[in-house]
Amino acid sequence: MSTERKLYCDCPTNYQDVPPNTNVCPICTGMPGAKPLPPNEHAVNAAIEIALMLGCRITTDQTIFIQRKHYDYPDLPSGYQRTSLPIARDGELQGVRIREVHLEEDPGQYDPVAGAVDYNRSGVPLVEIVTEPDIKSPEEARKFLRMLTRVLEYTGKVRPEAGGAMRADVNISLEGGGRVEVKNINSVKGAYRALKYEIIRQRERLKRGEAVVRETRAYLESQMVTVPMRVKELEEDYRYIPDPDIFPLILDAKRVNSVRGKMAEPPHLREQRLVKQYKIPNAAAEVIVSERELADLYEAVAREVDPKLAATWFRTKLKKVLNYMKLRAADVKFTPKQFAGLLQMVKMKRVTPEQGELVLRELAKEPADPEELLVKLGLVPLKKSELRAAVDRAIRENPRAVKDYRAGRKEALNFLAGKVMELTRGRADPREVARLLKSKLKKKRKI
Amino acid sequence: MGRGTLDKFDAIRRGELSAVENVQRALERIKKQDKRIKAFIELNPNALAEAEAIDRKLKRGERVGKLAGLAIGVKSNINVTGLRATCASRTLENYVSTYDAEVVKRVRAEGGIVVGMNNMDEFACGSSGETSAFGPTDNPAAPGHIPGGSSSGGAAAIAAGMCDLCLGTDTGGSIRNPASHCGVVGIKPTYGLVPRQGLIDLGMSLDQIGPLAPDVSGAALLLEAIAGKNPNECVMLDVEQVSYLDRLGGNGVKGMRVGVSPKFAELTDPKVMGVIDKAVEKLHDLGAEIVEVQLPNLERGLPAYYLIVSVEFFSATRKFDGRKYGKRIEEVCGEEVLRRILRGQYISRKEYRGKYYQRALQVRTLIRQELMAALEKVDVIAGPTVPKLPHRLGEKISVSSMYAYDYLTIPANLAGICGGVIKAGEVNGIPVGLQVQGKVLGELEVLRMMRALEVHNSCE
Repeated sequence: MSTERKLYCDCPTNYQDVPPNTNVCPICTGMPGAKPLPPNEHAVNAAIEIALMLGCRITTDQTIFIQRKHYDYPDLPSGYQRTSLPIARDGELQGVRIREVHLEEDPGQYDPVAGAVDYNRSGVPLVEIVTEPDIKSPEEARKFLRMLTRVLEYTGKVRPEAGGAMRADVNISLEGGGRVEVKNINSVKGAYRALKYEIIRQRERLKRGEAVVRETRAYLESQMVTVPMRVKELEEDYRYIPDPDIFPLILDAKRVNSVRGKMAEPPHLREQRLVKQYKIPNAAAEVIVSERELADLYEAVAREVDPKLAATWFRTKLKKVLNYMKLRAADVKFTPKQFAGLLQMVKMKRVTPEQGELVLRELAKEPADPEELLVKLGLVPLKKSELRAAVDRAIRENPRAVKDYRAGRKEALNFLAGKVMELTRGRADPREVARLLKSKLKKKRKI
Repeated sequence: MGRGTLDKFDAIRRGELSAVENVQRALERIKKQDKRIKAFIELNPNALAEAEAIDRKLKRGERVGKLAGLAIGVKSNINVTGLRATCASRTLENYVSTYDAEVVKRVRAEGGIVVGMNNMDEFACGSSGETSAFGPTDNPAAPGHIPGGSSSGGAAAIAAGMCDLCLGTDTGGSIRNPASHCGVVGIKPTYGLVPRQGLIDLGMSLDQIGPLAPDVSGAALLLEAIAGKNPNECVMLDVEQVSYLDRLGGNGVKGMRVGVSPKFAELTDPKVMGVIDKAVEKLHDLGAEIVEVQLPNLERGLPAYYLIVSVEFFSATRKFDGRKYGKRIEEVCGEEVLRRILRGQYISRKEYRGKYYQRALQVRTLIRQELMAALEKVDVIAGPTVPKLPHRLGEKISVSSMYAYDYLTIPANLAGICGGVIKAGEVNGIPVGLQVQGKVLGELEVLRMMRALEVHNSCE
């Protein structure tokens, strides 16, 4: 989770941006005698929000113990990890049931090659989300994880998946074999590949009449295979005890409601609402909700102009421009009003969609009033007479193309249209140009 | 009785005794006696400089705090920046603290001078003061006998006059037991009254830091300085600050109700009990009402305690894995520490969960209810601290006899209530301490009771 402070101390959490072992204190390095601070309220609220977005029932008015999970590894400075009992249960996302959500602290990062540990990440809050066995294929798993990532990113309370901040343990069992758990996966792609690999491995074993035993394996990303984990790690008994240094959490309905009140609408529900409310196609709504800021921008724009036109533009031209400029919706600087103004011009046919796209590009680069951009780009509307003059000139200067067209070669019309666009420096509406050319060429024939 | 802590404090305030002189004298006494007593593991090389700073402040008339210029010893399981917090173990013999424990911050803020780190039983796992990796501590009040533990060094330092006040820790009696054997005053505060931030764990749900002092006022003074909520800590009571000193004397103990239990005599050496009975009689003479209370399950606390403390200690020592502090605890620690770790590791196994630890927690609840019920009828419960006299240094005793020293002190830790110890008398020249247990946050009543006895004893 992307809280500002760690879960049990005041150290900052931007572990990826700072030199090793600089975001540390006696608490998150487990120095002798250090005791945890009370759990970071923001982290607890973020976990509640995530659970709510996944449709979970929050554990209220009950003690939620923070447990110590003991194991021995260099990245774990105290020899145990603090992990809460479920703060929520029984959710659902895309037909996959969520069994529980709980709160944990991240360990540090161990580099076995260098033999070095970086404790910057130690104590950063994380949520663990456990699903029921409702996923039937690697493709479904991938789809679910993508959707989950989107929901998590919607909360604004997690680090982006691309940074490796999401990790997954995937469990898979084929008929006739034991359940195999694969750990050490840190991307959606990795989860998909690990599952694909496991299906092949397990199926081959079963085909040869060999048993698939219940075990825990590790995914090796570099080789895209899974290998058994050391036996010691399997036999581990975590010896859970409630942490005597932390009062158990007790969440009440008031707190849950306050989080709910401020919570973002989950993307899957928002998509359905957009379709209904603005009468736009599913495909457009899906693109619009892909980023929370994009959907926010859409709804702000849709209040000002025709929501259907806006949806088309969001799905096509805006998406194209943002992709081209490698911008996320969150980075967009122009205001909904500016974008709505542009769409209004398109709607009134003051600019062509093509010109509109040029304005949009400019808008994304340097936000300004679209009217001003129009002047700046020299896209002042073409007078009818100017257009007619240009059409006439194109016909006059290209007799050969005219002849070809009249002989039935339709592509000659494109050539002439191109000439007209050249003469008008792109200001003409291509549809208008084609219409005019056709009618002029027809007229001349009659003569 | 010599000069009380308060008299000395006043003398420093008035400039009749400088902080430097006071600390110098403490250091000289340590130098002279500590080779034999072994109450300190390490001395603070900056102590005199810190004392000078206090003197300068006094000269300028600045605020100096309620411990100004007093020489304070700190148990070696409490972090003091720049000094080693060894826990008297090879495991941490080279661990130099990088931060001050909250109590040390508070002591410094009140002008107290940390003179050094006190010897103790290794990781506070002991009741005799013999298990330190730096050698056993002698009992200045009864030379050749154990000083008791685990805050052995602190109690011995006070008894030998090597410093003014000490910070000890008490998980199952570790302040009260050596206070009794050494004839000094010790208080185990109510669980959650004094911050534990910076205290190296034994049993987190039982540990409490408290004062060791030559007199009741000294103990009250130090407790006032260190008690109260630390917002940077979870498991604390919501108490802003406490004041005892100005309410200690006054109307004595007239009308206060003192509980005694027939259990005490059952569990205690008659020689010790004789001294305790006399002390209770004195309290009666001073106007307190003596009431019998029932503590039928008192002795069940002991096995429950050793299960709970072992599980928590096992968890707490996982960080001493040899990676950060050089030595893996299991490889260098003494017998008793290893015994507790292995016991904790064994009974916390998944398959034994309901069998030991859970049961022990149930017994703990039972003991707490019993003590709470008794304390509803009375203001304090008075009785012996340690059921028997201290053995001679070096004498081999069994594990169970060692544990048996703790029968009467453990219940207060299990229940989270407070308890204080004051010298009640002697048996063959060996001090015997009266234990006064109070309600949750009942420190004032405990102190008043002890103060009344102190005044009475000094008049005799």
